Amino acid sequence: MMVRFKNTMLKLALAGLIGAALVGCGASSQGSANAEVPASAEQVARGRYLARAGDCAACHTAKDGAPFAGGYPLHTPFGTIHGTNITPDKEHGIGGWSSDDFYLAMTDGVTPDHRLYPAMPYTSYRAMKREDSDAIYAYLMAQKPVAQPNLENGLSFPFNIRAGLWFWQALFVEDKQPDVSAGSSASWQRGRYVSNVLGHCAECHTPRKFSGQMDFSRQLQGNTLDRIGAPDITPEGLAARGWTLKDLNAFFATGLAPQGSAYGEMYPVVHLSTQHLSKSDLSAMSTYLLGDKPPAPQPVRPVAADAAELQAGRQVCTAVCAGCHGGQGEGKPHVAVAMKGNSTVRLKDARNLIVATLDGIEE
Amino acid sequence: MMIDFLHEYLNLTGSRLGCGQGVCHACVLIHDREDGTSEEIRTCITGAHFFGGKTIRTVEGLARRNDKGEVVELSAVQQAFLTHYSFQCGYCTPGFVNAATVLVEKLKREPVEKDKVEETITEALNEHICRCTGYVRYFEAVKDVVLSTPGLVKGGK
Repeated sequence: MMVRFKNTMLKLALAGLIGAALVGCGASSQGSANAEVPASAEQVARGRYLARAGDCAACHTAKDGAPFAGGYPLHTPFGTIHGTNITPDKEHGIGGWSSDDFYLAMTDGVTPDHRLYPAMPYTSYRAMKREDSDAIYAYLMAQKPVAQPNLENGLSFPFNIRAGLWFWQALFVEDKQPDVSAGSSASWQRGRYVSNVLGHCAECHTPRKFSGQMDFSRQLQGNTLDRIGAPDITPEGLAARGWTLKDLNAFFATGLAPQGSAYGEMYPVVHLSTQHLSKSDLSAMSTYLLGDKPPAPQPVRPVAADAAELQAGRQVCTAVCAGCHGGQGEGKPHVAVAMKGNSTVRLKDARNLIVATLDGIEE
Repeated sequence: MMIDFLHEYLNLTGSRLGCGQGVCHACVLIHDREDGTSEEIRTCITGAHFFGGKTIRTVEGLARRNDKGEVVELSAVQQAFLTHYSFQCGYCTPGFVNAATVLVEKLKREPVEKDKVEETITEALNEHICRCTGYVRYFEAVKDVVLSTPGLVKGGK
């Protein structure tokens, strides 16, 4: 399977090369270095907010590293890709870029030097407003330049040939992601932008097809990531696990809700991004995810399972879970989340529950 | 929870109830696995039934005793803690004694390089919290035991 897959990718890469030669790099922006208008303090502040909404730091700041200096490893099925230096350093960062260059990188995945791997979510940022891109650019350019070289990516052949990205981008970069909920309110409209574009929720929560492109026919229906998967966050998927507008808002603002806490890959999302967003933007995200008319949250139903198995499970649970999660799974405030009604426990796929039990959760 | 069973039914009060939520590790006992290895288990968050059929040691069981049950010799770890005066209020000490005992038993099976001794000790004791912040003396005592007990360190004495 893997061999066939790689062969297919090789052909895609070759086709990309030929295609690039024929079309002649239509999306190039080199030579457009305008005299930039100096950024106002207001624009920088807005850029700071938007950079948080876009969660740039999650991938562009390494653990204990300088802010936005890159080095964070992102593990993909194609190999490891490192977040790059996006400080205004002229040599290693983006100090030589114009705001036009930045906008093109954000929305087309094309930088003055090369094409970007779609680990950079330009597939989501594609619909970013020019003024928002400019504000993020202004904010980044106001940061301290860090002369930190970018790390080599650990991608295997043929994925290490960037030319193949032309073909990938031509095929899979679409202008608009499908909506999973129905709505028309101003909050829903804003939520669409905050979720689909800035927050790039789909990058993790939408399953991917074999060339790594998002499968928009299954938008936000959940995806297996590294060990822990990103759950289904369609209105139906959320309601099936008891989520409401109010609880989603609490989750985004604090990482905690009656349905459980943010863990795994979602922890940095709350920590670096959503907790800093305005109440109205969080509410907009929740409204967009659930729709203007949210489906009714489903009550917990008893599971059909073998009685002896249930009894054995109950004994283990009482011995090793109840100490923190409570005798009836009600949880302990400030200690451990409730297991009763817990979103992870209610997932159809037990993977996340099992992985959290085996690995524990990073504190 | 197991700690209640130890205190209330067996009168073994050496294991200390600290945080009661599995964080401080003052309450750990030693579980001797069937394969001869040992591990720490927190008794404040683990039910007594979990230990049915298992072999365990609490801090009371580490010293050598005579026929009358009197302590005649402390374990090497206990003695080192005394020698180094490794405690202030002493509340967290039983947990540290058990952690160090488990570490020494592990090093008997899998010795470490001499230059790895310090990080190995830190890793083994890392989860244990001492609110008097007496970590340095705990650390020195355990390092003393590890370096002076034959067979725990490769390439060293």
